[in-house]
Amino acid sequence: MLNRCKYLLILFCACCFNIEARSLDDILESQYIVIAVYDDYAPFSERKGDVATGIDIDIAQKIALSLGVELRLKWMTAGETTDDDLRNHIWKGHYLDRTVADVMLRVPYDRAYSQKRDDVGLLAHELVHMFGPYHTESWQIVFNQERLPDVATMALFQYHKIGAEIDSIPHFYLTSAFRGGLREQTRQYDNLVLAIKGMKDTEVDAVMGLRSQISYLHSQLDTQQYRLAENAFPLIGKQKWDIGMAVKTDYRALGYAVGDVVSALVRNGEMQKIFKKYAAIYEKPTYYQEIE
Amino acid sequence: MFNKDKVKVLSLSMLVTLACAGTANAKVTDKDILNDHLSTDEVVTNGMGLQGQRFSPLSTINTQTIEDIRPVWSFSLGGEKQRGQESQPMIKDGVMYITGSYSRVYAIDAKTGDELWQYEARLPDGIMPCCDVINRGVALYGDLVIFGTLDAKLVALNKDTGKVVWKKKVEDYKAGYSISAAPIVVKGKVITGIAGGEFGVVGKVRAYDAENGKLVWERPTVEGHMGYIYVDGKKIENGISGGAPGQTWPADLWKSGGAAPWLGGTYDPETDSLFFGTGNPAPWNSHLRPGDNYFSSSRLAIDPDTGKIKWHFQTTPHDGWDYDGVNEVISFNYDDQGKTVRAAATADRNGYFYVLNRENGDFIRGFPFVDKITWAEGLDENGRPIYAPANRPGNPADMADGKKGKTVVTAPSFLGGKNWMPMAYSQDTGLFYVPSNEWEMSIWNEPTAYKKGAAYLGAGFTIKSINDDYIGVLKAIDPKTGETVWSYKNYAPLWGGVLATAGNLVFTGNPEGYLMAFDAKTGEMLYKFNTGSGIVGSPVTWEMDGEQYISVLSGWGGAVPLWGGDVAKRVKHLNQGGSVWTFKLPKKYDLASN
Repeated sequence: MLNRCKYLLILFCACCFNIEARSLDDILESQYIVIAVYDDYAPFSERKGDVATGIDIDIAQKIALSLGVELRLKWMTAGETTDDDLRNHIWKGHYLDRTVADVMLRVPYDRAYSQKRDDVGLLAHELVHMFGPYHTESWQIVFNQERLPDVATMALFQYHKIGAEIDSIPHFYLTSAFRGGLREQTRQYDNLVLAIKGMKDTEVDAVMGLRSQISYLHSQLDTQQYRLAENAFPLIGKQKWDIGMAVKTDYRALGYAVGDVVSALVRNGEMQKIFKKYAAIYEKPTYYQEIE
Repeated sequence: MFNKDKVKVLSLSMLVTLACAGTANAKVTDKDILNDHLSTDEVVTNGMGLQGQRFSPLSTINTQTIEDIRPVWSFSLGGEKQRGQESQPMIKDGVMYITGSYSRVYAIDAKTGDELWQYEARLPDGIMPCCDVINRGVALYGDLVIFGTLDAKLVALNKDTGKVVWKKKVEDYKAGYSISAAPIVVKGKVITGIAGGEFGVVGKVRAYDAENGKLVWERPTVEGHMGYIYVDGKKIENGISGGAPGQTWPADLWKSGGAAPWLGGTYDPETDSLFFGTGNPAPWNSHLRPGDNYFSSSRLAIDPDTGKIKWHFQTTPHDGWDYDGVNEVISFNYDDQGKTVRAAATADRNGYFYVLNRENGDFIRGFPFVDKITWAEGLDENGRPIYAPANRPGNPADMADGKKGKTVVTAPSFLGGKNWMPMAYSQDTGLFYVPSNEWEMSIWNEPTAYKKGAAYLGAGFTIKSINDDYIGVLKAIDPKTGETVWSYKNYAPLWGGVLATAGNLVFTGNPEGYLMAFDAKTGEMLYKFNTGSGIVGSPVTWEMDGEQYISVLSGWGGAVPLWGGDVAKRVKHLNQGGSVWTFKLPKKYDLASN
């Protein structure tokens, strides 16, 4: 009997979200919007007790505020790739609860990606509209200046240990580029927070990862001892990419409305301020630079 | 080798015992579990015996009578939660215990199909099991019904009430772990592996005291990690798996080597060994981790008392194709020129069937059990694959230009020549009945991929059928020669377990929904019945009040429908379900009336 009650409770919680993504009209009428953000992913989105915090949370709040509706967050457990997240949180819902969000943040804004063909030649993302780039992401190394004076080139890491998040491009890069020459010096960690801890414990002399995260984590260190490197990453296919949002393809009007909100944040410098608040390096997508 | 008369006497004496003692509240003992392959009135192990042969000495239902069997009851698992039902029923004292998708457990009156109780694990938000929300069944011990949950807990329920007696967190589901396999109980210990293909995972096999859930030992399945044994609540170091780290891994990749033993294990009392298989190594791209990468894609023989590894046999060293080596190891003896060989057989995802010496893990012989294998040219005298280097997925360093990497076509596909679904061994025919699939995959490095908003190097792949008219093939294979004695071809891939009986019958189900019975010697299909949804579970048989029963779960799902490609086209019209079907002969065939 008790078990049945628990089951009902779960169902009730799931009802806070939607079985279907919704149109702008439905969102305005219902007075709330559901925005999907990654769980436990500082500095973008995380929960500290009952409080949601991070860059993407601030952006989500601005979106809800501008539309004049209440913000409801759908916390995403990341799938193996963004394809899984789009399926689980925008167009289909995960088979465990079958709920979706109206808008998802931190979706790549990349024509090659949005136009990607699936294994039988159809558009892989035809059910999703990707729009509204809000920043440009890249790679970054932070290093311990007591252990190595500067990072001129990647060649240094034939001799100095470097950490990366496992199964990330930096990890692939460090273990395969330059004929595997950096492999023996590479240490992998479950996430960047642990990699930074590894650097503080002198297990590694440097850490390579996502620029926003590295700059945010760097700000929490002794910035005299630990420095952000300025080296290049030869042989990495993807040097920079833009981050935007996604809605279900049926709801373009919602996409335009949300896109306008975010575009204004980028143009009026509000976006840069949000990133600065979290000490994350901000780069404006070329999308905006071209038309200015 | 098998004395049928003796079994009849045995089962009759059991009936007498039962009649005297009544059926109430008999506990499942270690002896019951050890003798499960001989007993006919109960099924108290996953595998119908600890060795996992899935062979029943029952023969009332046989090649002559099979056409007359009919359903006696059907039980719906209910709710909206109709996904893959991969459970094997267990039977004790006229009660059937099954698991359903979404970590549910049911106790059912085996005679009537009436529900006695139902337990639903409360699953946390945000769990991400990799391959459907399936569960493969319970273990029974004492008065406990023990199973693993999608959020990686072991739960022990009272067999009469369904109330929780103890609950144990095996791993943290937030790190990507879950449990889908049925635990095994050996010498009073409940032993389980762990699922979780995610990176950062280190596979472990763990033993718990079945009565209270206290950890007894844990054994990492990756070279370099310390194993532990618990004595009086104290955690004591018990030797590093493989002796030392870094022998078969570059740098410190062993620290997160994968090798999850997600399918559970079997046990052989003759050699006192547990046999567990291990999953693929991490990260997935083999070029990042030159070396054999112990003990990924391997079979391990483990001491059930201490958790020490006795021997290992690696089917796919330096795996680059996601050929998990988790498949069940079935112990069997055979005669070789007057000498009894204590062998173990396993049919691997990689398409090869291996016969090993189960005393020391030595390779006896190996041969393909699928028609097409392209990743290797064969096996050498030690059973090690002779690679076909052109068919190893590409090195990510070769795609610095950011373009799609080289596409490699490999057979079998990563879903394997055989996946999780257990084969059966008939002591009468000496043949293995192997549910296999003929499919291949295209695989390439995919640079236009993202993960949590970070550019990512994904693997792109498509699974393709090799033949227009079938993917699944049920094969009768002679382990002494490698000869395929007969085969049955199925349009959709086979994903359910197999059962062999002394009635010269072989049972299995297919995604199209049919429970099918074949002549064990000829492969002639003698019976089929559509259960209304796809069968991906394992059938069992037992005897109750002198009548032989057959049961199987029906409910389409599992990993196959989660993948695209042209395989999906073959199965997308199949409807989901969730039920148990139970069959027997009409009364006129009763043993009692003979």
